[in-house]
Amino acid sequence: MAQSRRDFIKRAAALSAASYVGISLPINDHNIAKAEQGVSWHRGSCRLCGVGCRVELGVKDGVPMGLRGISDSRTNFGFVCMKGMHFWKCMRHPDRLTMPLYREKKSDAFKEISWEQALDIAANRFGTAFRQGGGEAVAYYGSGQALTEETYLFQKIMRGGLQSNNVEGNPRLCMASAVGGYLSSFGADEPIGGYSDLEKAHCFFIVGSNTAEAHPVLFRRIMRRKLDNRETVKVINVDPRVSQTSRIADMHLQFKPGTDLALLNAMAHVIVEEKLYDEEFVKTYATFRKGKNEKTTFDDFKAKLADYTPEKAAKMCGDTFSPDQIRTAARWFAGSKGTVSLWTMGLNQRKRGVWANNLMHNLHILTGQLLKDGADSLSLTGQPNACGGVREGGGLCHILPGHRLVVKEKLRRQVENSWGVPEGRIPAKPGLHTMAMFSAVNEGKIKAIWINCTSPVQSLPNCNLYNKGMERDDVFIVCTDIFHTLTTQKANLVLPTAFHFEKTGVYGCTERRSQLTRKAIDPPGEAKPEVWIVREWASKLAAKLGDPVIAQCVKPFEGLEEGYELPKAIWDEYTQKLTAHRDNDLRGATYEVLGQMADGVQWPAPTREHALTGGTVKKFVKGIDPMADSESKDDLPYQFYGPAHPDRTLWIWLRDQADPEEVPDAEYPFYLSTGRIIDHWHTMSMTGRIPELLRANPYAYVEINPDDAKKLGIGPGDMVEIKSRRGVNILPAKVYQGPVEGMVFVYWHDQHKDRMINKVTKDAIDPGSKEPEFKICAVQVKRVSGPTPLKPFIV
Amino acid sequence: MPISGVVITGAAEKKQGLLERLGRLSGLEVYGDDDQGNIVAVLDTASSEAMEMLIDRINRDKDVFNVGVTYLNTEDEADRMTLETAVARPFGFKNPL
Repeated sequence: MAQSRRDFIKRAAALSAASYVGISLPINDHNIAKAEQGVSWHRGSCRLCGVGCRVELGVKDGVPMGLRGISDSRTNFGFVCMKGMHFWKCMRHPDRLTMPLYREKKSDAFKEISWEQALDIAANRFGTAFRQGGGEAVAYYGSGQALTEETYLFQKIMRGGLQSNNVEGNPRLCMASAVGGYLSSFGADEPIGGYSDLEKAHCFFIVGSNTAEAHPVLFRRIMRRKLDNRETVKVINVDPRVSQTSRIADMHLQFKPGTDLALLNAMAHVIVEEKLYDEEFVKTYATFRKGKNEKTTFDDFKAKLADYTPEKAAKMCGDTFSPDQIRTAARWFAGSKGTVSLWTMGLNQRKRGVWANNLMHNLHILTGQLLKDGADSLSLTGQPNACGGVREGGGLCHILPGHRLVVKEKLRRQVENSWGVPEGRIPAKPGLHTMAMFSAVNEGKIKAIWINCTSPVQSLPNCNLYNKGMERDDVFIVCTDIFHTLTTQKANLVLPTAFHFEKTGVYGCTERRSQLTRKAIDPPGEAKPEVWIVREWASKLAAKLGDPVIAQCVKPFEGLEEGYELPKAIWDEYTQKLTAHRDNDLRGATYEVLGQMADGVQWPAPTREHALTGGTVKKFVKGIDPMADSESKDDLPYQFYGPAHPDRTLWIWLRDQADPEEVPDAEYPFYLSTGRIIDHWHTMSMTGRIPELLRANPYAYVEINPDDAKKLGIGPGDMVEIKSRRGVNILPAKVYQGPVEGMVFVYWHDQHKDRMINKVTKDAIDPGSKEPEFKICAVQVKRVSGPTPLKPFIV
Repeated sequence: MPISGVVITGAAEKKQGLLERLGRLSGLEVYGDDDQGNIVAVLDTASSEAMEMLIDRINRDKDVFNVGVTYLNTEDEADRMTLETAVARPFGFKNPL
């Protein structure tokens, strides 16, 4: 690169950064033009995490060469984290899968085969499994990273074609409790407000979320709000572990793992006792519940809270904070002009994750900290399309596209009629949820499973148990992915897919926002978009089984070019037919509209005109949400038209503190919690192949409180054994004033067999959401040696 | 040799000290700042790895709350990847399948 070009690029970089914070620099815009000679910029979303940052991929001579944030985007205002800045390096990575690979037995070596052969094999094996065991013998396990068009088409073929509701995805492992919480508290999935509340909030209640590392761009917005209003904006951080997020907190409540339900009830206690609740709001819009069909009263609720005085709760939480701190937190929460709560897996990945979500929502309903500027109960999503694809597109075993429940006959008929398949084609019984699905794989009841864009071998809790099933030779596994993973090692057929910006489609992020990414470059070798793969497979499956209904499922998409026309046709079918008049109405958000928007559209967006404004910032509010007007039943300004609450009220739940499935005892005396680290994404198949990210954090370690380390004779870097009743890891120690005393913390990305922490975690599930309790189990902690040189491992 | 544009944010009242410390970092050039504690800088390093290390070092400063990246140009590295003169393979290893 010539020196002058570097200077131009540096000035363009400075102007870019300065423009996002409104700083004027004495640099001529001419520098940007010079820097961008020969570079084309392609708009899309970041591939990682659920924030939905909008970015532009720079392409020069057909090769990706850089990334920049989009300053007009209301998700990120131009900022991107370092992890996001690097994802594009997967595109030309030499490890990319470029040819279909097949082996009949899992002990054989893979051989490259043609697409024709690969699709024939997939159709034959799924066809055979279907003939032998019907829809219960086949399964699809997808991902919150798949595009909406992909999830939608996969589930259409599974349900309409193979008559199977065995449709699941990894969001079951992270977001299912949030879904359950929203449905049972507000009557509708997904948040009422969104990120626009962050700049208007006066109190942030961050619980079970290390936002600074898991959602750094949103953290930046919270931090900016706090720094600009130090005296008037409060930040409360609630977590058993002090993290980077705690740095901006006015108050950090560190508690014994699994006792936060008591804390949330204690805050409700203070709010009720001190009459900090919004009596008019509660009287007008809320009802009290003991069960789905069991109403109760405010007095019952108040009586229940008597068990959760701040004194009692502080004791339950481990005496790590004072009763007065609970009172202060409750007063800040209730008394601010606007309170936003944010949480992720800390509340969700629990045996009582739905209850934890309910208790969080309770505080907002009680105080009326909802539906107004700067107030929301905002569950942050982990993956870029857990909301859009899986929760909205029908990617779980009990839901059909458009937030329809499988068990409702009327809703099944709507879907069948939209698809033009015979009524009764979709089974009335929901399929197997994730843990049941892999139990069925263990038992050999599922004979053919398609795993798309995810690696359950590493990401399931208590994974040793479930990996046995995936090793069976009588269970045929297809994997679609861009790289080898630990799961492709257990597959029979591995199909290479196009990566982000190598195909076209929509991601829907945390705040009900759908955003389009258009294809910018060709995929390497013979990698193909999933929508092409599914269409071709379904056509062969129809022929194999002699079933015209399967053919009917893909008939609208026959012959369409796969880079744009095919996903557009799938999106059109989904939005125009399946979201019409549903609470996630996306009819106005066509590709044509999404292509015009810097940051996509928030649903409901029933019309083009509304979509072009950006859609609905606040659900349920007349004058803002068009469905609040069209579905209005009275003169009240808020209309709760969600599908799960026929009484159209918000539900305040009576829920008790519930201990985790496994708590420490004499034999296993420590809590183990797991989570993310800033540099890595999930199972590291992508970020582990980007050297600068891998080197920043090459392997997992265990965080130990200095007091615990002292008692156990553990020094920094010592090798430590973490053992549960299910499995064992050996990792280096990081002695750190992070985890509360009595708890250790390990991040879950490492693929190495000695450091894969899901061998140790527990597979207890929430009875409502079926989400596993990754966050808490009991372990032994033991020093095994001094520091030992380690090597990172990527399969 | 990547170049990035960043906004470094810290406590406004501690900005002066932070600016002095940033000024001593190799590969970092400050272009501007404001009263809210925002500092606009350009990072110019020999590799993406060095970029990551530099950002990590800035992040570890006691007065820094956040480093927001807004622009990254790595066209030199992209060229090398295309020509396969530098293989972006980690120093892990691949198991034969």
